[in-house]
Amino acid sequence: MTMDTEKLIEQLAEVVEPVRPLPSPWIRTAAWLLVAIPYVALVVFVVSPRADLIAKVSEWGYAIEQLAALATGITAATAAFATVIPGYDRKFLFLPVLPLAIWLGSLGDGCVEDWIHFGPDGLSLQPDWFCFPAIVLVGAVPAIAMAMMLRRGAPLTPHVTCALGGLAAAGLGNFGLRLFHSQDVSVMVLVWQVGTVFILTIMVAWAGQYLLNWGSIVGTARRRVLIR
Amino acid sequence: MNGEDSRRFTTKCSAHYSDWTYQLAMKRRRDDRALGTLMQAAQGGDTQAYALLLKEITPRVRQIVRGQRRFLKIEDIEDLVQDILLSLHAVRATYDPRRPFMPWLMAITRHRLADAARRYTRRAAHEVQVENLPVTFSDEGSNIDSDGYRDPQALRQAIEDLSPAQRAAIEMLKLREMSLKEAAAAKGTSIGALKVSVHRAMATLRKVLIKDS
Repeated sequence: MTMDTEKLIEQLAEVVEPVRPLPSPWIRTAAWLLVAIPYVALVVFVVSPRADLIAKVSEWGYAIEQLAALATGITAATAAFATVIPGYDRKFLFLPVLPLAIWLGSLGDGCVEDWIHFGPDGLSLQPDWFCFPAIVLVGAVPAIAMAMMLRRGAPLTPHVTCALGGLAAAGLGNFGLRLFHSQDVSVMVLVWQVGTVFILTIMVAWAGQYLLNWGSIVGTARRRVLIR
Repeated sequence: MNGEDSRRFTTKCSAHYSDWTYQLAMKRRRDDRALGTLMQAAQGGDTQAYALLLKEITPRVRQIVRGQRRFLKIEDIEDLVQDILLSLHAVRATYDPRRPFMPWLMAITRHRLADAARRYTRRAAHEVQVENLPVTFSDEGSNIDSDGYRDPQALRQAIEDLSPAQRAAIEMLKLREMSLKEAAAAKGTSIGALKVSVHRAMATLRKVLIKDS
């Protein structure tokens, strides 16, 4: 860069345009849910909800698992939105920990119960490849909406931000999946569904450096200054 | 000073010190509020407020960069300052007017400095420092025979076997890279005679070395 700093300041002041301050992470989460929830509902409706859904909702175990998955998605989204605001409180990062622990704990508890009731057969695994594409399908639009919203912020910690965003979309995807996929064996849910959520989270976290980086946004600002 | 006086003196100093830190904290808060107000105006598109804000924060940013990157040259520090100003400009929508300004600015500065350090490390890992760049390619086929002779021992021996006049011409003109005028003056001969000697020496060397290889 060869430009004089004083000159850069003058040029930045010349090109400054009004911008709307980003709302708080909670409000942005609500906005994200306004896009994500109708889409998840649409997918569930199109694929057709499981026949025993009403009966399942009244079961404590199922209700807790679903609520925990939903809460994990919501809190991960809030944490992701907080990480793109400079000077945010780092405590936000721990928001998804409790619902995630409840989600994993309830599934772990289900595994123990299955083992007590059925012995080693209760923990047997069968292939359930349907989970991966189904979670990707249900989580696709929430993930795209999340990426677009995160790109409006500052890419301070791209990997952490994207991991949280991925967890939010995949968590919501899993919540949607269990509304139409009749798979309730805890160990199967834990391995195939939660496993998919974690794999997707890791993949999105890896892609963080491409989705969110200073290079592109600073480059755009620099080009605007130079064009002026 | 007895014990009572000493205690009174300590209490007085402590009160004065806490008053001073309080004043400083208040000044900082007022300062932060003023910067926040300017930023809020800049978010509304006020060019004057934005210019004032950038002029106000640039020396502070420069001081931080200089403090944390003491080993950098002035122009590199200025590059980093400009990078931070451009980053601030790009993400100015993330400033929440209800929150303090300086922590927001410091977070951007800190992350951009870390980013620059990572970029520097990555670039350094892929860079090979060389004093002189090679003037030819490493591929054998791209080099003509005279670009380099790969048996220095045979070359040394061939030079040794030259006549004294030819050897002296080669040493002065080719090895010590003297000009014709300098070599002629050093040897006490004419430029023409030197040219003939070096031409014949090169022909002899070429013949001997090609035969050897």
